[in-house]
Amino acid sequence: MKCPLTPNSWLNPSRGKRGQPLSSSLILLFYLVFYGFLAALFSFTMWAMLQTLNDEVPKYRDQIPSPGLMVFPKPVTALDYSFRVSDPESYRGYVDDLTKFLKSYDLEEQKNLTACPDGALREQKGPTYTACQFPVVSLKGCSGVEDPEFGYSTGNPCILVKMNRIIGLKPQGKPRINCISKGEKTATLSTYPSNGTIDLKYFPYYGKKLHVRYLQPLVAVQVAFNTTSTGKEVTVECKIDGSPNLRNQDDRDKFLGRVVFKITMHA
Amino acid sequence: MAQKTPEIYSVELSGTEDVGKTDTGDGKEKYRGLKDKRLELKKNHQKEELKKEVDLEDHKLSIKELERKYGTNIVTGLSSTQAAELLARNGPNALTPPKETPEIVKFLKQMVGGFSILLWIGAILCWIAYGIQYFNDKSSSLDSVYLGCVLALVVILTGIFAYYQEAKSTNIMASFSKMIPQQALVIRDSEKKTIPADIRLLSTQGCKVDNSSLTGESEPQSRSCEFTHDNPLETKNIGFYSTTCLEGTATGMVINTGDRTIIGQIASLASGVGHEKTPIAIEIEHFVHIVAGVAVSIGILFFIIAVSMKYYVLDSIIFLIGIIVANVPEGLLATVTVTLSLTAKRMAKKNCLVKNLEAVETLGSTSIICSDKTGTLTQNRMTVAHLWFDNQIFVADTSEDHSNQVFDQSSGTWASLSKIITLCNRAEFRPGQESVPIMKKVVVGDASETALLKFSEVILGDVMEIRKRNRKVAEIPFNSTNKFQLSIHETDDPSDKRFLMVMKGAPERVLEKCSTIMVNGQEQPLDDSTAEAFHTAYMELGGLGERVLGFCHLYLPADKFPETYSFDVDTVNFPTSNLCFVGLLSMIDPPRSTVPDAVTKCRSAGIKVIMVTGDHPITAKAIAKSVGIISANSETVEDIAKRLNIPVEQVSKRDAKAAVVTGMELKDMSPEQLDELLTDYSEIVFARTSPQQKLIIVEGCQRQDAVVAVTGDGVNDSPALKKADIGIAMGIAGSDAAKNAADMVLLDDNFASIVTGVEEGRLIFDNLKKTIAYTLTKNIAELCPFLIYIIAGLPLPIGTITILFIDLGTDIIPSIALAYEKAESDIMNRKPRHKKKDRLVNAPLAIYSYLHIGLMQALGAFVVYFTVYAQEGFRPSALINLRVEWEKDSVNDLEDSYGQEWTQYQRKYLEWTGYTAFFVGIMIQQIADLIIRKTRRNSIFQQGLFRNKVIWVGIASQIIIALILSYGLGSVSALNFTMLRPQYWFVAVPHAILIWVYDEVRKLFIRLYPGSWWDKNMYY
Repeated sequence: MKCPLTPNSWLNPSRGKRGQPLSSSLILLFYLVFYGFLAALFSFTMWAMLQTLNDEVPKYRDQIPSPGLMVFPKPVTALDYSFRVSDPESYRGYVDDLTKFLKSYDLEEQKNLTACPDGALREQKGPTYTACQFPVVSLKGCSGVEDPEFGYSTGNPCILVKMNRIIGLKPQGKPRINCISKGEKTATLSTYPSNGTIDLKYFPYYGKKLHVRYLQPLVAVQVAFNTTSTGKEVTVECKIDGSPNLRNQDDRDKFLGRVVFKITMHA
Repeated sequence: MAQKTPEIYSVELSGTEDVGKTDTGDGKEKYRGLKDKRLELKKNHQKEELKKEVDLEDHKLSIKELERKYGTNIVTGLSSTQAAELLARNGPNALTPPKETPEIVKFLKQMVGGFSILLWIGAILCWIAYGIQYFNDKSSSLDSVYLGCVLALVVILTGIFAYYQEAKSTNIMASFSKMIPQQALVIRDSEKKTIPADIRLLSTQGCKVDNSSLTGESEPQSRSCEFTHDNPLETKNIGFYSTTCLEGTATGMVINTGDRTIIGQIASLASGVGHEKTPIAIEIEHFVHIVAGVAVSIGILFFIIAVSMKYYVLDSIIFLIGIIVANVPEGLLATVTVTLSLTAKRMAKKNCLVKNLEAVETLGSTSIICSDKTGTLTQNRMTVAHLWFDNQIFVADTSEDHSNQVFDQSSGTWASLSKIITLCNRAEFRPGQESVPIMKKVVVGDASETALLKFSEVILGDVMEIRKRNRKVAEIPFNSTNKFQLSIHETDDPSDKRFLMVMKGAPERVLEKCSTIMVNGQEQPLDDSTAEAFHTAYMELGGLGERVLGFCHLYLPADKFPETYSFDVDTVNFPTSNLCFVGLLSMIDPPRSTVPDAVTKCRSAGIKVIMVTGDHPITAKAIAKSVGIISANSETVEDIAKRLNIPVEQVSKRDAKAAVVTGMELKDMSPEQLDELLTDYSEIVFARTSPQQKLIIVEGCQRQDAVVAVTGDGVNDSPALKKADIGIAMGIAGSDAAKNAADMVLLDDNFASIVTGVEEGRLIFDNLKKTIAYTLTKNIAELCPFLIYIIAGLPLPIGTITILFIDLGTDIIPSIALAYEKAESDIMNRKPRHKKKDRLVNAPLAIYSYLHIGLMQALGAFVVYFTVYAQEGFRPSALINLRVEWEKDSVNDLEDSYGQEWTQYQRKYLEWTGYTAFFVGIMIQQIADLIIRKTRRNSIFQQGLFRNKVIWVGIASQIIIALILSYGLGSVSALNFTMLRPQYWFVAVPHAILIWVYDEVRKLFIRLYPGSWWDKNMYY
């Protein structure tokens, strides 16, 4: 008899008395070992790959060279806001969304943030990175402080425009959000802070991990429909302006440095 | 009339009533053109009909009965109105060409065959999905419409490609049949005349016909008016359409024309025999079923999972399409076609012309070859094999060029014998062939005389010159009553004024006429002991299956026969007895010199070679022995009986390995007995078989689950050629009907070419396995992304279009390259594959490709995918369940693991980078896959990494196509490729190396422990 541990004996289970069941259990065992090995191998390679990553900054940022623009309240499907002044329920969702969004901009929340000097990039060397205060009052009637309904109840709805965060992005020039109503002049737009300015002090951004509690600058657009116009409908286009390295025109990316939304107000 | 083509013949007949007595140019043949009035033949296209002997009764009837039956008169013929009427009813005297499948049907078949149906379903689902989308939202994107169109385009393009390939191989065949014009049935102004219809002979004069176009046996057969056999093919009083009359004249009455002739019946019935599916077609169907089964079941399973996970039905449909596309190897069937046609080309170079591409492989799985004797195993020409003179048997060289005649030529007897051979011979070389080698020169004369002429020309030099010097003064040609041929010559010795009379013929007849015998150049009286020696030699040569001729001569005394003597062959005014016997000479149609080797190869390849011939059993057995179909040490029952000197009945059948079965014995056998015969004996010769019995033999073999190859050349072989798994027609000797029915044509009529074909066929089967294994592997790597996408909600790792670029782009040339792979071991040393057990795609192949290498490949590709996402900011943990947010068009500030925000298009672009990364990951690992698929058992190093250069062309093509897609077309957004960072191309390399190491280990264990559990489960 051969030693039971020679490969020949485990490779030839059919010589065993039990025959078939041994073979199928061997197959099971084989797959267990094989897949265990593959899983371990995969985990190892993934672990090794993760070791190459930096916790603070992604390795490459080439795919987001320029920020997109996004608006609040968060649109449900398309960028189409529609409400009825007389019916609070119709705009409750928008108001709640804005309130929730501005929660982190609460004065209480901002107490520990630094009051940074205006008008200049704020490059930091670490190891701790501080975030600048964003004075929510600069949003005027859209700050939610004076008007918790954000103008929806009065027929002057507010939309907040925000620039996407990109680590290390240093805007050149004087970036501002420029909003215009497209088509017929059915409404006047007011932007806050005045001129839609985005202050450079909020840049660059150092990432979620280093730059804790970072607040990104906001610009509010408030729509005042002309009393004369019959249609209470306006399409607004906001673009980043005044900064040569922030793109606002891309054929394929409709949100790169710009955003278009529509507001329909029913009586 | 006989000079006309069959078509014209019939036209003329309808116009002129009494053309009956037109003489042919040489006046050798006369017909009385009488039109038949046969009842409409019941065209029962069932093959049972074929096995019956040909249905014809006219040969049994007397002339009076015939006249009555056909309403005609043998002297005056038909009236013109009657003839016209008959023409109108029976149609012209021509064979209807076989029906062709319309091109459009062939094309449409390609469009719906194989995986095409699945892809059509995918395309239609795409359009339905778009329809639903459009119904809900008029601005929905056209992506799914594009995808549907791409899928449809893929089906149409691969369909057109397959159709084109088929058409190309058909064209080769068409051009080939043009080389041998159909009209060649009639040879004008030459010695042969073609019989224009089936004819019942009424009067004959020394008529001999060559029925080779009908029976394949080129032996001339005499024809007379007597009814000699029940079987119309054997009886002597029928002349058949398309056969040739070699000599003599005959007058007969037309009994059948066109499709109703014997040859027409066989040809039309043959086209009625359904072509069996080729083994490779069955294998590919099996493979398509497996893949389609996997695709559909996984698709439906995940459709259900997706729906129950609360995905929209519309999304679920899109997933379903993705799963189908990932699972279907779109390029594979086209690859298989290319592979087969490459092999077909290779085989054509080796003289095997393949008509039907799939037959390429059939030859490889052949387990029984039923071979003809004449022309296939033999050279198809009588050749002098042995000589007997001076009481000794000498062996002549029977090789193709006769170059090596080593027997002793110093004896005076040889001098006399050679003179007789030279002079007593009417055959002549056709003029104008000075530069042609002797053996290839065309000779006018019958087979035996041709053999003697060439034999003497090789040994003695210019025979014509010798004949000129020995002027012939009188001659009695051979006839069947005399059984001898005689001629009288002047001698070339000017001092010798005697005449030399030379005679050859049937040995016993010749001996009767002799009183002396020449030994060592001296005339000696013929006593009993020399007669005994003669008989022994005669029997021995006859026992070899050879045709023996005796030779004798007599110098006529000059006093009785002066120079001016006038010989009269009618009154025979010269002696024809008391001659001097000189020697015997035996002839055989010798085997081709390459055949014994080929038969040995077949045997070691586990292929049984069965000889099926119409020839005599003795000749058949002799040839079978000399080529090794009956091996040297095996005996038939009769041999054993003879050796042990006991009756045949007492011999135990188990002792005999070989059997020689005649057609008469076969006739009395039940199918069970035939089965028993075929299984019990490894070496079988069927002799004296009728062509119909060939079909019975083929069916018997097929009942043993054998893949049967049949060779044939006669029209009557065509049903057997069709019935066989692979019918092989002879390119030179074969009739057009045989070539039409066959799957393959041997251009050189050489059996040895079949063996090279077998080798190619086996190789292609092995290599197709490799190709399929290679192609199936990446299907898992393409499928897993969809499954993970549905279940774990990752952004889609690879797009449908990208998958198509792998299946129809990078993978195509490599999978064709595997067709150039050399055999791993001597494929001619193993048994033919069992058509039901050894599948092209077996469980180990599918499991190993899908669950081993495929899975490893998927993991490798996922590593590349995760790397790209992680390095751009989305860590693997962040990707899980990200799908919904990721794909929402309205979300333009999706946060990554580092707090950065992405617009929808930025994400989309990253997703395409992911596609490209996954694609590159698969491509890199497919290179490893390609290398490991070079062998199934041997180590790559045993096989040699660089022996198959095409593999490297394939690898280069993969890399170049991928580079072009990524860097060249990276900016074309519709293709979903982006420029990938160079380092990502190397992320999957460790996995590729792992795949290769794993496969080497697998092969090592297979080699170390053959027959083990590992071998059984891991060897595909």
